[in-house]
Amino acid sequence: MDYPANPFAWVLLSAVLILMAGLVLHVTRLNLRLRHSKQVLENEINERRRAEEKLAENENRLRQIIASEPECVKLQTLDGILLEMNPAGLALLEASQPGDIIGTSVYDMVAPEFCDEYRTLTERVFAGESGVMEFQIVSLKGRRCWMETHAVPLRDGRDNVIALLGITRDITARKHAEDEVRLHYRELAHAARVNTMGEMASGLAHELNQPLAAIANYSRGCLRRIRSGAGAAEDMTQAIEQVCLQAERAGGIISSLRRFVNKEDSPHRVQDLHAIVREAMLIAGPEVKLHQVNVRLNLAPGMPHVLGHAIQIEQVVINLVRNAIEAMGDVPPERRYLTLRTYVAEEKAVVEVRDTGSGLAREMQSRIFEPFFTTKSVGMGMGLPICRSIVEAHGGALISLSNPNGDGLTFRFTLCRATAEEIDG
Amino acid sequence: MAEQQTVFVVDDDQAVRESLHWLLESVGHRVCSYASAHEFLNAYDGTSPGCLVLDVRIPGMSGLELQNHLLERDWCLPVIIVTGHGDVPMAVRAMKAGAIDFLQKPYNDQTLLDRIQLALELCRQRRHSHQELTRIQANYRQLTPREREVAAHVVAGKANKVIAIKLGLSPKTIEVHRANVMFKMHVNSLPELVQLWMRMETPAANEVSPAS
Repeated sequence: MDYPANPFAWVLLSAVLILMAGLVLHVTRLNLRLRHSKQVLENEINERRRAEEKLAENENRLRQIIASEPECVKLQTLDGILLEMNPAGLALLEASQPGDIIGTSVYDMVAPEFCDEYRTLTERVFAGESGVMEFQIVSLKGRRCWMETHAVPLRDGRDNVIALLGITRDITARKHAEDEVRLHYRELAHAARVNTMGEMASGLAHELNQPLAAIANYSRGCLRRIRSGAGAAEDMTQAIEQVCLQAERAGGIISSLRRFVNKEDSPHRVQDLHAIVREAMLIAGPEVKLHQVNVRLNLAPGMPHVLGHAIQIEQVVINLVRNAIEAMGDVPPERRYLTLRTYVAEEKAVVEVRDTGSGLAREMQSRIFEPFFTTKSVGMGMGLPICRSIVEAHGGALISLSNPNGDGLTFRFTLCRATAEEIDG
Repeated sequence: MAEQQTVFVVDDDQAVRESLHWLLESVGHRVCSYASAHEFLNAYDGTSPGCLVLDVRIPGMSGLELQNHLLERDWCLPVIIVTGHGDVPMAVRAMKAGAIDFLQKPYNDQTLLDRIQLALELCRQRRHSHQELTRIQANYRQLTPREREVAAHVVAGKANKVIAIKLGLSPKTIEVHRANVMFKMHVNSLPELVQLWMRMETPAANEVSPAS
């Protein structure tokens, strides 16, 4: 073996050896670090995979919940384009596949008369509010049903409203039940009106007899003057004008009565309360006269209009007036005072019918609104319960109060004032 | 006819009242109409002749009450009741209170006019007999107590002799008293005197009696 004798060579060799050792050390360290990184990476990948799995599982669960939700869940744009809808919604609209619905406009389904209201709701939701609305839809197969929708804004991560989320349920059955109740109640109210009219028949016949008697008198008087040649044309004209007026008076009475017993309800709309009160007093007039009752009408000037069915409100007034008259039966005629007052309190229109009769004990007062409870010898005891249902259906309340000085009762009912838009509309 | 008669109408319904006014004027009646019993009572002087056409159902004082007022004041105004819806008890009450008729609206105008004619005739009779009675009573007041005593026995159908014994007087004196009675009462025979006597005792015997 030939060893280099050059000492420089030894130094060089050592250096190379040290360098190699250092390199090996470095590589080993690098290797270790690499292995560690790989481990971290693998862990991360696993974690992410697990997270993704979990996310998918969550989404799947949510989808399943939405898919099995019995109510219609839908997403919709501001223009009404449907973005998504669950199977219940598709079934409600009688669509055989999502493609029939997704991408079409909700306004193809909402019944025309509700479109404006629906549009307003959508705009409110995109402005960040939420709302509830009842409306009718027409399904793809042309079936009409009643819907109730709860609409809320759906927001992205930056809080922008990106869609309307609507949860809608079919309330057709409930609506039908409500209609049925309303129909029954209307029939009951009508039956009560017919009954009232029957009880008042003889007085009303008298009321009708007056103009007829006047017509007969005027025309007989004319005939006699004509036959005797004594009538001046001017006098005759006046008499015949009176005949016409009285014929109109009789006709007016008949048409009020006919309207009152008509089965069809007057439309629900803005009403002049005082006109209704006067009409009621016209029909109740003969009874007032027959029982020698003094009537004081205390109608507030500038009374606001109310919202409701004229005939039903009239029915309540007539009923209360007749009750008041009957309540004063035992009081001498000079002390029979019926006061009908109107005023506004707490944004409601108030009507009060006050009598000076013998009043009612407190325990009786709480029972007079019960069906079939009566303090009278005639009558079914349905008058006040029906009055109360009518008033409550109009959003008001009917109560009875003892008069402060202890004589007689006051019945007070409230009605909703019509708003400015309702009056203009 | 010395005094013109008036048909008084009381009805609260203006149209009925005015039309009745018009009808009655067409046959030449003088008519005064009132809306209430009070209005009539304030206006009526108690003596004007005529008749009253009255609606039984008027506010305030009822027709029946007004009839009773007339009775109390002894006003001999015949009353015809008209009503829109009367019943039997009401008609009975009205007739008992002296109404001469009870008509349902709408009535035949001829019927009403006939009844009014009858009522006016009755009023004339009543006034006539009232005047006659006043005259008889005035004559009666002319008799002395003794003459009244004798007259009562004469009317009872007793002979002069019987009366004389009863009163302890001579038949001659009775004869004189009797002649005075006949003279003062303006009668010529016994039957006439008896008639006057009966008139005085039952003043309304020959007409529809209001007091039953």
